Amino acid sequence: MRDLERRYRRLLHAYPLGYRRARGAEIVGTYLDLAEPGRRWPSPADAIDVVTGGVRERLRAAGAADLIPGVRLAATLAFTTATALAGIWTAAETTAGQVPWVVPTFGPFATTGIIVWTVWLLAAVVRCLAPIRWTRMTIGLALLLSAAALPVGALAGLPRPPLFVLVPQATLGLLALAMPADPPRWHRLVPLVVAPLATLAAAHGMVERNTPYRSGEWGNFLPRAGVALLLTAMLTAAILALRHDTRGLWALLTLLPPIGLLGLYPLSEITADLVGASYPDFQVATATAGIVVILSAVTLTAAVAARRGARPARAGTVTAAPTAGACPTCGR
Amino acid sequence: MDTPLREPTFLILTALAGEPLHGYAIIGEVTTLSQGRLSLRPGTLYGALDRLVDAGMVEVHRVEVVDGRLRRYYRLSPAGDTTLSEETDRLRRNVEAATARLRDRSRSPRAVPRTVGGVA
Repeated sequence: MRDLERRYRRLLHAYPLGYRRARGAEIVGTYLDLAEPGRRWPSPADAIDVVTGGVRERLRAAGAADLIPGVRLAATLAFTTATALAGIWTAAETTAGQVPWVVPTFGPFATTGIIVWTVWLLAAVVRCLAPIRWTRMTIGLALLLSAAALPVGALAGLPRPPLFVLVPQATLGLLALAMPADPPRWHRLVPLVVAPLATLAAAHGMVERNTPYRSGEWGNFLPRAGVALLLTAMLTAAILALRHDTRGLWALLTLLPPIGLLGLYPLSEITADLVGASYPDFQVATATAGIVVILSAVTLTAAVAARRGARPARAGTVTAAPTAGACPTCGR
Repeated sequence: MDTPLREPTFLILTALAGEPLHGYAIIGEVTTLSQGRLSLRPGTLYGALDRLVDAGMVEVHRVEVVDGRLRRYYRLSPAGDTTLSEETDRLRRNVEAATARLRDRSRSPRAVPRTVGGVA
Protein backbone atom coordinates (compact mmCIF):
# COMPACT_ATOMS: atom_id res chain seq x y z
CA MET A 1 0.00 0.00 0.00
CA ARG A 2 2.97 2.27 0.71
CA ASP A 3 4.16 1.83 -2.91
CA LEU A 4 0.68 2.58 -4.17
CA GLU A 5 0.43 5.73 -2.03
CA ARG A 6 3.82 6.94 -3.26
CA ARG A 7 2.76 6.42 -6.87
CA TYR A 8 -0.52 8.27 -6.40
CA ARG A 9 1.40 11.13 -4.77
CA ARG A 10 3.74 11.22 -7.75
CA LEU A 11 0.77 11.42 -10.13
CA LEU A 12 -0.66 14.19 -7.98
CA HIS A 13 2.03 16.51 -9.38
CA ALA A 14 -0.49 17.11 -12.20
CA TYR A 15 -2.24 19.42 -9.69
CA PRO A 16 -0.96 22.94 -8.86
CA LEU A 17 1.39 23.06 -5.87
CA GLY A 18 -0.94 25.03 -3.59
CA TYR A 19 -3.88 22.74 -4.30
CA ARG A 20 -1.72 19.67 -3.82
CA ARG A 21 -0.62 20.85 -0.41
CA ALA A 22 -4.16 21.71 0.66
CA ARG A 23 -5.99 18.67 -0.76
CA GLY A 24 -3.38 16.08 -1.72
CA ALA A 25 -3.69 13.93 1.42
CA GLU A 26 -7.48 13.83 1.15
CA ILE A 27 -7.50 12.91 -2.55
CA VAL A 28 -4.79 10.23 -2.21
CA GLY A 29 -6.62 8.83 0.83
CA THR A 30 -9.78 8.41 -1.26
CA TYR A 31 -7.91 6.63 -4.06
CA LEU A 32 -6.39 4.30 -1.44
CA ASP A 33 -9.82 3.67 0.10
CA LEU A 34 -11.11 2.65 -3.32
CA ALA A 35 -8.12 0.47 -4.25
CA GLU A 36 -8.48 -3.29 -3.88
CA PRO A 37 -6.11 -4.98 -1.38
CA GLY A 38 -2.71 -5.93 -2.77
CA ARG A 39 -2.72 -3.37 -5.57
CA ARG A 40 0.70 -1.76 -6.04
CA TRP A 41 0.15 0.44 -9.10
CA PRO A 42 -2.66 2.90 -9.85
CA SER A 43 -5.02 1.53 -12.53
CA PRO A 44 -4.77 3.27 -15.94
CA ALA A 45 -8.25 4.73 -15.41
CA ASP A 46 -7.18 6.18 -12.03
CA ALA A 47 -3.98 7.59 -13.54
CA ILE A 48 -6.02 9.32 -16.27
CA ASP A 49 -8.46 10.57 -13.62
CA VAL A 50 -5.68 12.11 -11.50
CA VAL A 51 -4.01 13.79 -14.49
CA THR A 52 -7.34 15.04 -15.90
CA GLY A 53 -8.33 16.38 -12.48
CA GLY A 54 -4.95 18.11 -12.18
CA VAL A 55 -5.17 19.74 -15.60
CA ARG A 56 -8.74 20.84 -14.84
CA GLU A 57 -7.60 22.37 -11.56
CA ARG A 58 -4.68 24.15 -13.23
CA LEU A 59 -7.07 25.65 -15.79
CA ARG A 60 -9.42 26.75 -13.03
CA ALA A 61 -6.49 28.29 -11.18
CA ALA A 62 -5.60 30.16 -14.38
CA GLY A 63 -9.18 31.47 -14.61
CA ALA A 64 -9.76 29.51 -17.83
CA ALA A 65 -12.18 26.86 -16.61
CA ASP A 66 -14.41 27.43 -19.63
CA LEU A 67 -11.54 26.14 -21.76
CA ILE A 68 -12.56 22.60 -20.69
CA PRO A 69 -16.00 22.59 -22.40
CA GLY A 70 -14.32 24.34 -25.34
CA VAL A 71 -11.81 21.50 -25.63
CA ARG A 72 -14.67 18.98 -25.49
CA LEU A 73 -16.42 20.76 -28.36
CA ALA A 74 -13.12 20.90 -30.30
CA ALA A 75 -12.68 17.16 -29.65
CA THR A 76 -16.09 16.43 -31.19
CA LEU A 77 -15.24 18.48 -34.30
CA ALA A 78 -11.79 16.84 -34.47
CA PHE A 79 -13.31 13.35 -34.27
CA THR A 80 -15.77 14.11 -37.09
CA THR A 81 -12.95 15.50 -39.26
CA ALA A 82 -10.70 12.53 -38.50
CA THR A 83 -13.36 9.97 -39.42
CA ALA A 84 -14.22 11.89 -42.63
CA LEU A 85 -10.52 11.91 -43.57
CA ALA A 86 -10.28 8.20 -42.74
CA GLY A 87 -13.15 7.64 -45.20
CA ILE A 88 -11.35 9.69 -47.86
CA TRP A 89 -8.07 7.79 -47.35
CA THR A 90 -9.89 4.45 -47.43
CA ALA A 91 -11.16 5.36 -50.89
CA ALA A 92 -7.69 6.59 -51.82
CA GLU A 93 -6.05 3.34 -50.72
CA THR A 94 -8.06 1.44 -53.32
CA THR A 95 -6.68 3.55 -56.18
CA ALA A 96 -3.28 1.84 -55.93
CA GLY A 97 -3.85 0.13 -59.26
CA GLN A 98 -4.05 3.45 -61.06
CA VAL A 99 -0.41 4.33 -60.41
CA PRO A 100 1.18 4.43 -63.87
CA TRP A 101 4.58 3.28 -62.64
CA VAL A 102 5.55 0.28 -60.58
CA VAL A 103 5.60 0.97 -56.82
CA PRO A 104 5.31 -1.45 -53.91
CA THR A 105 1.76 -1.95 -52.65
CA PHE A 106 0.17 -3.54 -49.60
CA GLY A 107 -1.86 -6.31 -51.20
CA PRO A 108 -4.74 -4.73 -53.11
CA PHE A 109 -4.23 -1.46 -51.23
CA ALA A 110 -1.76 1.37 -51.74
CA THR A 111 -0.24 1.30 -48.23
CA THR A 112 -0.50 -0.19 -44.74
CA GLY A 113 -2.58 2.89 -43.92
CA ILE A 114 -5.71 0.88 -44.81
CA ILE A 115 -5.43 -0.77 -41.38
CA VAL A 116 -5.26 2.60 -39.62
CA TRP A 117 -8.20 4.03 -41.60
CA THR A 118 -10.31 0.93 -40.95
CA VAL A 119 -9.76 1.32 -37.20
CA TRP A 120 -10.71 4.99 -37.45
CA LEU A 121 -13.96 4.11 -39.23
CA LEU A 122 -14.56 1.46 -36.59
CA ALA A 123 -14.18 4.21 -33.96
CA ALA A 124 -17.10 6.08 -35.58
CA VAL A 125 -19.27 2.96 -35.19
CA VAL A 126 -18.09 2.36 -31.62
CA ARG A 127 -18.92 5.98 -30.76
CA CYS A 128 -22.57 5.31 -31.65
CA LEU A 129 -22.91 1.99 -29.88
CA ALA A 130 -20.63 1.87 -26.83
CA PRO A 131 -19.56 3.98 -23.83
CA ILE A 132 -16.89 6.61 -24.37
CA ARG A 133 -14.07 4.46 -22.96
CA TRP A 134 -14.44 2.02 -25.86
CA THR A 135 -14.26 4.89 -28.35
CA ARG A 136 -11.13 6.19 -26.62
CA MET A 137 -9.58 2.72 -26.71
CA THR A 138 -10.32 2.42 -30.44
CA ILE A 139 -8.84 5.88 -31.11
CA GLY A 140 -5.83 4.90 -28.99
CA LEU A 141 -5.41 1.78 -31.14
CA ALA A 142 -5.58 3.90 -34.31
CA LEU A 143 -2.90 6.22 -32.87
CA LEU A 144 -0.67 3.26 -31.98
CA LEU A 145 -1.06 1.79 -35.46
CA SER A 146 -0.27 5.19 -37.00
CA ALA A 147 2.94 5.34 -34.96
CA ALA A 148 3.76 1.70 -35.79
CA ALA A 149 3.36 2.33 -39.55
CA LEU A 150 6.72 4.14 -39.58
CA PRO A 151 9.05 1.48 -38.09
CA VAL A 152 7.09 -1.38 -39.67
CA GLY A 153 7.30 0.32 -43.04
CA ALA A 154 11.05 0.87 -42.66
CA LEU A 155 11.83 -2.64 -41.36
CA ALA A 156 9.53 -4.70 -43.57
CA GLY A 157 9.78 -2.51 -46.64
CA LEU A 158 6.03 -1.93 -46.68
CA PRO A 159 4.59 1.28 -48.12
CA ARG A 160 2.98 3.63 -45.60
CA PRO A 161 0.92 6.82 -45.91
CA PRO A 162 2.95 10.05 -46.10
CA LEU A 163 3.70 11.89 -42.84
CA PHE A 164 1.72 14.82 -44.25
CA VAL A 165 -1.31 12.52 -43.85
CA LEU A 166 -0.40 10.68 -40.63
CA VAL A 167 0.65 13.69 -38.52
CA PRO A 168 -2.56 15.79 -38.77
CA GLN A 169 -4.62 12.60 -38.33
CA ALA A 170 -2.71 11.77 -35.13
CA THR A 171 -3.18 15.35 -33.85
CA LEU A 172 -6.92 15.13 -34.50
CA GLY A 173 -6.92 11.73 -32.75
CA LEU A 174 -5.16 13.05 -29.64
CA LEU A 175 -7.69 15.87 -29.40
CA ALA A 176 -10.62 13.49 -30.01
CA LEU A 177 -9.68 11.60 -26.81
CA ALA A 178 -11.20 14.54 -24.88
CA MET A 179 -14.69 13.93 -26.29
CA PRO A 180 -17.52 14.21 -23.75
CA ALA A 181 -18.96 10.99 -22.36
CA ASP A 182 -22.63 11.92 -22.66
CA PRO A 183 -23.28 14.14 -25.68
CA PRO A 184 -26.68 14.46 -27.41
CA ARG A 185 -27.39 11.39 -29.54
CA TRP A 186 -27.10 13.30 -32.83
CA HIS A 187 -23.53 14.32 -31.91
CA ARG A 188 -22.65 10.61 -31.88
CA LEU A 189 -24.31 10.01 -35.24
CA VAL A 190 -22.62 12.86 -37.15
CA PRO A 191 -19.23 11.09 -37.71
CA LEU A 192 -21.05 7.92 -38.79
CA VAL A 193 -22.98 9.92 -41.41
CA VAL A 194 -20.09 12.15 -42.53
CA ALA A 195 -17.48 9.37 -42.97
CA PRO A 196 -19.38 7.30 -45.61
CA LEU A 197 -20.36 10.50 -47.48
CA ALA A 198 -16.71 11.59 -47.54
CA THR A 199 -15.67 8.10 -48.71
CA LEU A 200 -18.16 8.11 -51.58
CA ALA A 201 -17.36 11.70 -52.61
CA ALA A 202 -13.61 11.01 -52.51
CA ALA A 203 -13.92 7.77 -54.46
CA HIS A 204 -16.02 9.50 -57.13
CA GLY A 205 -13.61 12.46 -57.37
CA MET A 206 -10.53 10.26 -57.61
CA VAL A 207 -11.99 8.10 -60.36
CA GLU A 208 -12.88 11.25 -62.31
CA ARG A 209 -9.47 12.86 -61.93
CA ASN A 210 -7.54 9.60 -62.13
CA THR A 211 -4.98 10.90 -59.61
CA PRO A 212 -3.78 8.17 -57.28
CA TYR A 213 -3.24 8.49 -53.54
CA ARG A 214 0.52 8.23 -53.46
CA SER A 215 1.29 10.72 -56.18
CA GLY A 216 -0.14 13.70 -54.36
CA GLU A 217 -3.90 13.20 -54.02
CA TRP A 218 -3.52 13.91 -50.30
CA GLY A 219 -2.17 17.34 -51.24
CA ASN A 220 -5.62 18.21 -52.60
CA PHE A 221 -7.68 16.97 -49.69
CA LEU A 222 -5.69 18.00 -46.62
CA PRO A 223 -5.72 21.82 -47.06
CA ARG A 224 -9.39 21.65 -48.07
CA ALA A 225 -10.19 19.63 -44.96
CA GLY A 226 -8.24 22.21 -42.91
CA VAL A 227 -10.23 25.09 -44.41
CA ALA A 228 -13.52 23.20 -43.90
CA LEU A 229 -12.63 22.55 -40.25
CA LEU A 230 -11.58 26.19 -39.76
CA LEU A 231 -14.83 27.51 -41.28
CA THR A 232 -16.94 25.06 -39.25
CA ALA A 233 -15.15 26.05 -36.03
CA MET A 234 -15.51 29.77 -36.84
CA LEU A 235 -19.22 29.39 -37.65
CA THR A 236 -19.80 27.39 -34.45
CA ALA A 237 -17.91 30.02 -32.43
CA ALA A 238 -19.95 32.84 -33.97
CA ILE A 239 -23.29 31.11 -33.32
CA LEU A 240 -22.38 30.29 -29.71
CA ALA A 241 -20.96 33.80 -29.14
CA LEU A 242 -24.38 35.22 -30.06
CA ARG A 243 -25.71 33.24 -27.08
CA HIS A 244 -22.90 34.60 -24.86
CA ASP A 245 -21.29 31.16 -24.88
CA THR A 246 -17.47 31.27 -25.16
CA ARG A 247 -17.05 27.53 -25.79
CA GLY A 248 -16.79 28.02 -29.55
CA LEU A 249 -13.92 30.52 -29.26
CA TRP A 250 -11.93 28.16 -27.03
CA ALA A 251 -12.72 25.29 -29.40
CA LEU A 252 -11.42 27.37 -32.33
CA LEU A 253 -8.17 28.14 -30.49
CA THR A 254 -7.76 24.48 -29.49
CA LEU A 255 -8.24 23.38 -33.10
CA LEU A 256 -5.47 25.65 -34.44
CA PRO A 257 -2.70 22.95 -34.30
CA PRO A 258 -4.61 20.32 -36.33
CA ILE A 259 -5.92 22.99 -38.74
CA GLY A 260 -2.36 24.25 -39.26
CA LEU A 261 -1.02 20.71 -39.72
CA LEU A 262 -3.76 19.92 -42.27
CA GLY A 263 -2.35 22.82 -44.27
CA LEU A 264 1.23 21.77 -43.65
CA TYR A 265 2.15 21.16 -47.28
CA PRO A 266 1.19 24.61 -48.65
CA LEU A 267 2.66 26.19 -45.50
CA SER A 268 5.90 24.21 -46.04
CA GLU A 269 6.00 25.46 -49.63
CA ILE A 270 5.86 29.02 -48.31
CA THR A 271 8.66 28.21 -45.81
CA ALA A 272 10.72 26.63 -48.60
CA ASP A 273 10.37 29.83 -50.64
CA LEU A 274 11.38 31.94 -47.64
CA VAL A 275 14.52 29.91 -46.87
CA GLY A 276 15.45 29.46 -50.52
CA ALA A 277 14.88 25.68 -50.64
CA SER A 278 13.85 24.22 -54.00
CA TYR A 279 11.05 22.12 -52.44
CA PRO A 280 9.60 21.43 -48.96
CA ASP A 281 11.92 18.62 -47.87
CA PHE A 282 11.74 16.78 -44.52
CA GLN A 283 13.65 19.48 -42.61
CA VAL A 284 11.53 22.31 -44.00
CA ALA A 285 8.28 20.42 -43.28
CA THR A 286 9.42 19.53 -39.73
CA ALA A 287 10.41 23.13 -39.01
CA THR A 288 7.07 24.35 -40.39
CA ALA A 289 5.16 21.84 -38.24
CA GLY A 290 7.14 23.06 -35.20
CA ILE A 291 6.28 26.68 -35.99
CA VAL A 292 2.58 25.78 -36.39
CA VAL A 293 2.49 24.02 -32.99
CA ILE A 294 4.46 26.78 -31.21
CA LEU A 295 2.35 29.59 -32.67
CA SER A 296 -0.86 27.74 -31.76
CA ALA A 297 0.38 27.18 -28.20
CA VAL A 298 1.41 30.85 -27.87
CA THR A 299 -2.00 31.99 -29.17
CA LEU A 300 -3.85 29.75 -26.70
CA THR A 301 -1.60 30.79 -23.80
CA ALA A 302 -2.08 34.47 -24.66
CA ALA A 303 -5.86 33.97 -24.76
CA VAL A 304 -5.81 32.25 -21.35
CA ALA A 305 -3.62 35.06 -19.94
CA ALA A 306 -5.97 37.70 -21.39
CA ARG A 307 -8.92 35.87 -19.87
CA ARG A 308 -7.17 35.71 -16.53
CA GLY A 309 -6.49 39.44 -16.67
CA ALA A 310 -10.12 40.14 -17.53
CA ARG A 311 -11.49 37.91 -14.75
CA PRO A 312 -9.02 37.47 -11.88
CA ALA A 313 -9.43 34.26 -9.89
CA ARG A 314 -10.62 34.58 -6.29
CA ALA A 315 -9.91 32.29 -3.41
CA GLY A 316 -12.60 29.75 -2.57
CA THR A 317 -13.45 28.16 0.77
CA VAL A 318 -11.65 24.89 0.27
CA THR A 319 -9.50 25.74 -2.71
CA ALA A 320 -9.11 28.33 -5.43
CA ALA A 321 -10.46 29.38 -8.81
CA PRO A 322 -14.22 29.06 -8.85
CA THR A 323 -16.51 28.98 -11.87
CA ALA A 324 -19.64 30.89 -11.00
CA GLY A 325 -22.79 29.55 -12.56
CA ALA A 326 -21.08 26.51 -14.10
CA CYS A 327 -21.89 22.86 -13.73
CA PRO A 328 -19.70 21.43 -10.97
CA THR A 329 -19.00 18.16 -12.73
CA CYS A 330 -18.18 19.33 -16.23
CA GLY A 331 -17.42 23.04 -15.79
CA ARG A 332 -20.09 24.08 -18.35
CA MET B 1 -25.63 27.70 -10.16
CA ASP B 2 -27.41 26.80 -13.39
CA THR B 3 -30.43 24.54 -13.23
CA PRO B 4 -31.45 21.94 -14.23
CA LEU B 5 -28.57 20.26 -12.45
CA ARG B 6 -26.67 17.57 -14.29
CA GLU B 7 -27.21 14.10 -12.92
CA PRO B 8 -23.84 13.69 -11.09
CA THR B 9 -24.33 17.07 -9.37
CA PHE B 10 -27.89 16.18 -8.40
CA LEU B 11 -26.74 12.84 -6.95
CA ILE B 12 -23.82 14.37 -5.02
CA LEU B 13 -26.22 16.86 -3.41
CA THR B 14 -28.69 14.04 -2.72
CA ALA B 15 -25.93 11.98 -1.10
CA LEU B 16 -25.15 14.93 1.19
CA ALA B 17 -28.81 15.52 2.08
CA GLY B 18 -28.40 13.11 5.00
CA GLU B 19 -25.48 13.19 7.37
CA PRO B 20 -22.09 14.75 6.49
CA LEU B 21 -19.97 12.42 4.33
CA HIS B 22 -16.32 12.20 3.27
CA GLY B 23 -15.23 11.69 -0.35
CA TYR B 24 -15.09 7.90 -0.31
CA ALA B 25 -18.55 7.68 1.27
CA ILE B 26 -19.99 10.14 -1.28
CA ILE B 27 -18.68 7.96 -4.13
CA GLY B 28 -20.38 4.93 -2.56
CA GLU B 29 -23.65 6.80 -2.00
CA VAL B 30 -23.75 8.11 -5.58
CA THR B 31 -23.19 4.56 -6.89
CA THR B 32 -26.03 3.29 -4.67
CA LEU B 33 -28.40 6.14 -5.57
CA SER B 34 -27.80 5.61 -9.29
CA GLN B 35 -28.20 1.83 -8.86
CA GLY B 36 -24.65 1.27 -10.07
CA ARG B 37 -24.98 3.35 -13.27
CA LEU B 38 -22.73 6.17 -12.10
CA SER B 39 -19.33 5.53 -10.59
CA LEU B 40 -17.54 8.78 -9.78
CA ARG B 41 -13.75 8.80 -9.61
CA PRO B 42 -11.98 10.93 -7.01
CA GLY B 43 -10.59 13.42 -9.55
CA THR B 44 -14.08 14.11 -10.86
CA LEU B 45 -15.65 14.12 -7.39
CA TYR B 46 -13.24 16.61 -5.84
CA GLY B 47 -13.49 18.92 -8.85
CA ALA B 48 -17.27 18.86 -8.44
CA LEU B 49 -17.08 19.35 -4.66
CA ASP B 50 -14.74 22.35 -5.08
CA ARG B 51 -17.21 24.02 -7.42
CA LEU B 52 -20.15 23.22 -5.15
CA VAL B 53 -18.28 24.73 -2.20
CA ASP B 54 -17.43 27.80 -4.30
CA ALA B 55 -21.11 28.09 -5.29
CA GLY B 56 -22.08 27.98 -1.60
CA MET B 57 -24.12 24.78 -1.94
CA VAL B 58 -21.82 22.50 0.05
CA GLU B 59 -19.67 23.28 3.07
CA VAL B 60 -16.93 21.50 4.95
CA HIS B 61 -18.27 20.08 8.21
CA ARG B 62 -15.14 18.67 9.85
CA VAL B 63 -11.75 17.10 9.19
CA GLU B 64 -10.65 13.78 10.69
CA VAL B 65 -7.63 11.51 10.36
CA VAL B 66 -8.64 7.82 10.24
CA ASP B 67 -5.93 5.14 9.92
CA GLY B 68 -3.47 7.84 8.90
CA ARG B 69 -5.76 9.04 6.10
CA LEU B 70 -7.14 12.56 6.09
CA ARG B 71 -10.89 12.69 5.68
CA ARG B 72 -12.77 15.90 5.09
CA TYR B 73 -16.51 15.64 5.72
CA TYR B 74 -18.92 17.67 3.59
CA ARG B 75 -22.52 18.63 4.20
CA LEU B 76 -25.28 20.43 2.35
CA SER B 77 -25.47 24.19 3.07
CA PRO B 78 -28.88 25.91 3.42
CA ALA B 79 -28.49 27.21 -0.17
CA GLY B 80 -27.70 23.69 -1.38
CA ASP B 81 -30.71 22.37 0.51
CA THR B 82 -32.97 24.92 -1.24
CA THR B 83 -31.51 24.15 -4.70
CA LEU B 84 -31.89 20.40 -4.19
CA SER B 85 -35.50 20.82 -2.98
CA GLU B 86 -36.40 23.04 -5.96
CA GLU B 87 -34.75 20.65 -8.41
CA THR B 88 -36.50 17.66 -6.84
CA ASP B 89 -39.88 19.46 -7.14
CA ARG B 90 -39.19 20.26 -10.77
CA LEU B 91 -38.27 16.65 -11.54
CA ARG B 92 -41.31 15.39 -9.62
CA ARG B 93 -43.65 17.64 -11.63
CA ASN B 94 -42.07 16.35 -14.86
CA VAL B 95 -42.43 12.73 -13.75
CA GLU B 96 -46.07 13.30 -12.73
CA ALA B 97 -46.87 14.96 -16.06
CA ALA B 98 -45.22 12.16 -18.03
CA THR B 99 -46.91 9.47 -15.91
CA ALA B 100 -50.35 11.06 -16.44
CA ARG B 101 -49.83 11.24 -20.21
CA LEU B 102 -48.69 7.62 -20.40
CA ARG B 103 -51.63 6.50 -18.25
CA ASP B 104 -54.12 8.36 -20.49
CA ARG B 105 -52.57 6.85 -23.56
CA SER B 106 -52.78 3.30 -22.24
CA ARG B 107 -56.48 3.80 -21.33
CA SER B 108 -57.68 5.24 -24.66
CA PRO B 109 -57.41 2.90 -27.67
CA ARG B 110 -54.85 4.07 -30.14
CA ALA B 111 -56.49 5.91 -33.06
CA VAL B 112 -56.04 4.15 -36.37
CA PRO B 113 -54.85 6.61 -39.00
CA ARG B 114 -57.23 6.91 -41.95
CA THR B 115 -55.93 5.91 -45.30
CA VAL B 116 -55.94 8.83 -47.67
CA GLY B 117 -56.52 8.22 -51.35
CA GLY B 118 -57.37 4.54 -50.98
CA VAL B 119 -59.75 2.59 -53.12
CA ALA B 120 -63.30 3.86 -52.48
